[in-house]
Amino acid sequence: MNVRRARRGLLILLPLLFLAAAFYYPLLRLFREGLTENGRFTFRFLTDVFVDPYFLRVIVFTAKQAFWSTLLSIAIGLPWAYVFTKYRFPFKSTLRSLTIVPFVLPSITVAVGFILFFGNNGYLNQALMFVFGLESPPIRILYSLPGIVLAHAFYNAPLVARMVSAQWEQIDPAYTESARSLGAGRVRRFAGITLPMLMPGLMTSSMLVFIFSFLSFPIVLALGGAQFATLEVEIYTQFIVLFNEPTGAALAILEIILSLLFTFGYILLEGRFTRPVGGRIHHATEPLFRWSWGRGLLWLFIVACAILYIGPLGSVLADSFTRSWAGHTVLTLDWYAAIFRPEYNALIGAAPLRAVQNSLQTAAGAMLGALVVGVPIAFAVARGRFRGRRLFDTVVMAPLGVSSVALGAALLAAFLRPPLQLGHGWLAIVLAHTILAYPFVIRAVVPILEGLDRGPVEAARSLGATGWRAFLDIELPLIRRGLLVGAVLAFAISLGEMSATIMLARPEWKTMPLVVNDLRAARSFGGASAMSCLLMAITAIAFVVIERFGARIFGGTKWSKSA
Amino acid sequence: MRTLLVTAVALLGVCLVCFGQAADTPFVVYTYDSFASWGPASSIEQAFEATHPVDVRFVAVADSRSMLTRLLQERQAGRQGADVFIGIEAAELARTQRLELFVSIPPEDVPNLAAVDPALLLDPSGSLIPYEHGYITFVYDSEHVETETLARTFEDLLDARYRNQIILEDPRMSSPGLSFLLWTIDRYGDPGYLDYWRQLRPNILTVAGGWGEAYDLFLAGEAPIVLSFSTDTAYSVIDHGSARHKVMLLQNQGYRNVYFMGVVQGTEHLDWATDFLDLVLSTEIQSLIPTTEWMFPANPEALLPVSFYQYAVTPPQPVMVSPEAIAENLDRWLREWSLVILGG
Repeated sequence: MNVRRARRGLLILLPLLFLAAAFYYPLLRLFREGLTENGRFTFRFLTDVFVDPYFLRVIVFTAKQAFWSTLLSIAIGLPWAYVFTKYRFPFKSTLRSLTIVPFVLPSITVAVGFILFFGNNGYLNQALMFVFGLESPPIRILYSLPGIVLAHAFYNAPLVARMVSAQWEQIDPAYTESARSLGAGRVRRFAGITLPMLMPGLMTSSMLVFIFSFLSFPIVLALGGAQFATLEVEIYTQFIVLFNEPTGAALAILEIILSLLFTFGYILLEGRFTRPVGGRIHHATEPLFRWSWGRGLLWLFIVACAILYIGPLGSVLADSFTRSWAGHTVLTLDWYAAIFRPEYNALIGAAPLRAVQNSLQTAAGAMLGALVVGVPIAFAVARGRFRGRRLFDTVVMAPLGVSSVALGAALLAAFLRPPLQLGHGWLAIVLAHTILAYPFVIRAVVPILEGLDRGPVEAARSLGATGWRAFLDIELPLIRRGLLVGAVLAFAISLGEMSATIMLARPEWKTMPLVVNDLRAARSFGGASAMSCLLMAITAIAFVVIERFGARIFGGTKWSKSA
Repeated sequence: MRTLLVTAVALLGVCLVCFGQAADTPFVVYTYDSFASWGPASSIEQAFEATHPVDVRFVAVADSRSMLTRLLQERQAGRQGADVFIGIEAAELARTQRLELFVSIPPEDVPNLAAVDPALLLDPSGSLIPYEHGYITFVYDSEHVETETLARTFEDLLDARYRNQIILEDPRMSSPGLSFLLWTIDRYGDPGYLDYWRQLRPNILTVAGGWGEAYDLFLAGEAPIVLSFSTDTAYSVIDHGSARHKVMLLQNQGYRNVYFMGVVQGTEHLDWATDFLDLVLSTEIQSLIPTTEWMFPANPEALLPVSFYQYAVTPPQPVMVSPEAIAENLDRWLREWSLVILGG
């Protein structure tokens, strides 16, 4: 027993050691910067922030937009999860893999798509003006709070949908069936049975969305404007523009404390909601494409979703195939020719195809790293019986709440010195992405672990199976949906990450989002769109591949078809 | 579907197998992304390697501010990140000086410096050397703004007919944005500029994060006036075959921005580094500046393309705020400006 405990302890100790070296140590430097002056401890920088009415306004606005963004993401993500759980339609699994693509897009791409489609002069307004013969654009959502909220929902609704549907598929339909036989109506069944059982997934994803939106910044500036600056913009200003590191660090500390408070609050709440649900459930699905009047609302939702996603992304695609010449818009392949041209940037070592390779390698490394670090911690969180378990759960989520600007600078500072001394290179980027991504693995796996029926494992153990054997044969297949979602999210986080990459990358390790950034900085707007489309295509293929293989590796066919 | 999958897997596999080959880095130049990707970097590299036994490596993964932050972090950690840095703007001069990042260079070590317009030599210590300059001006879409009644003064811009018609950039995040803030301070004084901004607010459609975002909005037709560069008509003619985007001069002024390069303290290749700066100022390289950087070359002997000569506007009265005043007040100016603009 003691040997086993020791072995288990080692399994959790290694990821924690990694975190201590690669995350908490750099973070410590950040805290030292924000809390000391001439070597002496001080709260001055922190209190300066609190007494300044300007910062208070910024903090209140940051929280407000994050709240609305979360609400809208749920409003879109929940019905979306419903459609994917209850209905069947052609290419369902491929579409499911693709849902996470918006999550990885560089903010520039989304901003351009939104401007072209939802802008005052965008395709949507032009179409509406044409159809209804209007004089002025009817939909004015950009450059105001609704534009920011819609863009955050665009990013985050897929996250909600993925996490909730993973949970939904675990709910035994027998519950709702028996409620139906007892005469409970549709609404009653959903509110009384399904919703409470979905709560863990719903709350997990809400918390992630809230913190994401709380820390968001390029998209807020692009679609809202400086009038709507968030805390993160201030951190950028203090660190990068004014070289005012103590105040920047103080703001970053404040941001991390707030994020951890949200996380802790959520973890306390989550404990109340977790309900045991079944493990391997077969859901009878209905074909989606069958018209009935009762489905009017459903179809309204699907059409609205299609407009929200296909509109902006389609606009970017159209932009990548057109250019304006002598006052006309002409079709062209110039932008693609430009990004594929071998001599482009060949001397600089960041040719676009190299960036594709860099992005995939880095994301694959980060995904593996996040699983290796995240899964043992998830088990400790879900299964551990120790004091301060919730606090532990909160603290391991810290990377989510750290300002990306501050983290980039902190990691760079740490990676330049012993003991890490990785400098700028592939491993440095992969480690940074691993740190940013592993919390997603934890959050994707924990709710499922907690809802797992321990019966089969205990049965196996009583029949003589070793703990490891029982884990591999029984638990792993049962939590595979969570693992898969976690892996996909980790991959996605790495693909889309920019702030830390900018600080750590050498030119030969530039990733796709950085190249999109470059192209636009160099006035190649069409080239940036072409590169964005390439990024979308590559990530779409990568997600489909990961999910196909992931399902096989984690024994997908073993359980879902039987039982 | 299956073939697609197989191809995709193969692609992924190839990517995972071929790791990047390590290269040694004898001469490193930090600069901003656009200078390296479409700017004159590759021509500089070729020319320099032809005459010097070095392997020039441009490191440009982000904008110049991020690259400068990186250089600073490396210095604090006792590492020599780069030999040369290209891309410090005039507004950052004094603050950069305080950090003592750059070596002061005797003018005779950079012979081409003699040709440079003395008005651009803004660094008294002589460590930062100008390589290009430009003017921030408003640019308008001549199909949507009446040219006859065009705004000619700052006050004209407050007119109600421009309501929601102006796209600006955030001075905290972008160089043109900062230039315009400084320009209003130059014109209305401190704190008079805040009043001007209060009156301007209704006419601002949005204050975008950076120049790229702002120009995207402008190109998408979201508003017909954008804060940009006086070379935009030339760009429009050369790249889009139309002079539709025109420069709007206010008070016959333009905010002048000068961009500098310097030799990083601690370099082991001081001679090469000064040769390198000299090469950047040579007429061959300077002649590439107009159509790659869309800026005016620092060396007036550089050759300009005819359409650049014809369409790039040189404002009769360039405006600049002194780097010292900027270093002194920037923190407060940005704060006061944010308070005026916030929640608009």
